[in-house]
Amino acid sequence: METRSIWSLRLTTFMIALIPVAVAVNYVGKAIAAALKLPLWLDSIGTVLAAMLGGPVVGALSGAINNIFYGLTADPVSFWYAITSIFIGLAAGYFAYTGWVQSTGRAIALGLVVALVSAVVSTPINVILWQGTTGNAWGDALFTALRIHEVPVWLASFLDEFVVDLPDKVITVFVAYLVFRGLPQRLVAQAGARRVQGGR
Amino acid sequence: MRAPSLYVPGRSFVHRADPLTKAAWAFSTALAGFIVPDWRATAALLVLNLTLLGLAGALRRTARLILASAVLVATFFVAQGLSHPSNAEPLFRVFGLTFYREGLLVAWVLALRLWNTIAAIGVLVFTVRPQDLVTALLMRGLSPRAGYALVSIIQVLPTLSASVATILDAQRSRGVETEGGLRVRLRALLPMLAPLIMSALAAAQDRAVALEVRGFSRPGPRTILRPVRDMAGAAFWRAVGLGVLVAAVLWRALGG
Repeated sequence: METRSIWSLRLTTFMIALIPVAVAVNYVGKAIAAALKLPLWLDSIGTVLAAMLGGPVVGALSGAINNIFYGLTADPVSFWYAITSIFIGLAAGYFAYTGWVQSTGRAIALGLVVALVSAVVSTPINVILWQGTTGNAWGDALFTALRIHEVPVWLASFLDEFVVDLPDKVITVFVAYLVFRGLPQRLVAQAGARRVQGGR
Repeated sequence: MRAPSLYVPGRSFVHRADPLTKAAWAFSTALAGFIVPDWRATAALLVLNLTLLGLAGALRRTARLILASAVLVATFFVAQGLSHPSNAEPLFRVFGLTFYREGLLVAWVLALRLWNTIAAIGVLVFTVRPQDLVTALLMRGLSPRAGYALVSIIQVLPTLSASVATILDAQRSRGVETEGGLRVRLRALLPMLAPLIMSALAAAQDRAVALEVRGFSRPGPRTILRPVRDMAGAAFWRAVGLGVLVAAVLWRALGG
């Protein structure tokens, strides 16, 4: 198989078929988090996994289509946050393809990076749309406390988002990594991803 | 489980308007609600959108979505009421915390914008089947591959959701603890998700083969099985929608 640039826009049919699965996994991850009463969203496991398998372009497309679909079928506010999902897919895909899913330690580091990217991209959206709050009770309590102490709105809003994103995205990426590691080699190769052999 | 959907069947004139006209209206008025410098204009847009939703018979759905946003709205009032920098005039005290008039007003504006977003986009999503919206976009040049990715979610999701309960039961019967402390529940995550994802990916492989033998990646134009036609005067109504947005921007730039 010829080697492709990771930014290649020529998607195979399997990559296209991967996108709806990523969106469905996002939905189901959220449902399972709720069923297990976990204080997390876990609504981007599919996007991260698609990015690990198909690279940044497939990750970004999965993220965008996820929020468009979610906006059309469940929560209209979700459209505004498509940008965050796109960047989560881009970041996860880029770093996965440059070798960040080869060990548990690196997967956790990738989780930190994704959490940071997610918070950095969401902060301007939260500030522009809602003057900084996120709708998460814990994060917003922190935001309010910081604002009373005259911390600038951008920093307070970033921390509001980051305290929630940090555990959420680290666990999201870690779960996606564990699944990715357990996938059959044939499937990984078909998606065009590289995976170090014998990682188990 | 059926695919999630917000579509409310009906034959009102809002339903009969074509998807792209409604999309233009929905996104223009949602954005305009944020841009106009006076909250009464946002309120007027909200009332206008609610009227359209009332004509479409979708008010109950809208009310449910607006209620679902209650937590977000509550955080506006608490966060801004306590800590907005313009706060000067104390209004009341609860649990030793002082709420200020200015911050609560800011929160009110934010709440109106949120509700207007829900109502505006509701005009689109409550009255258009997602399939029809994608068809309309395909006719305007959306790539058939992107169109497929969007529409096939409607088929993939119910299958996957249906297996959630099955796998939950199966793993419990094998001794996976799904209740207890946070660590226990976190550890249950992987045995739940891994089999689901594996089978979904295997199905995606099969689907890719099935698509390929049907000429999915063949170049060239595609025909549409059930075309979506533009409503009469579509161009005019789209211009009205965009006009609202342009007016909001001009008002903000010149007057606000």
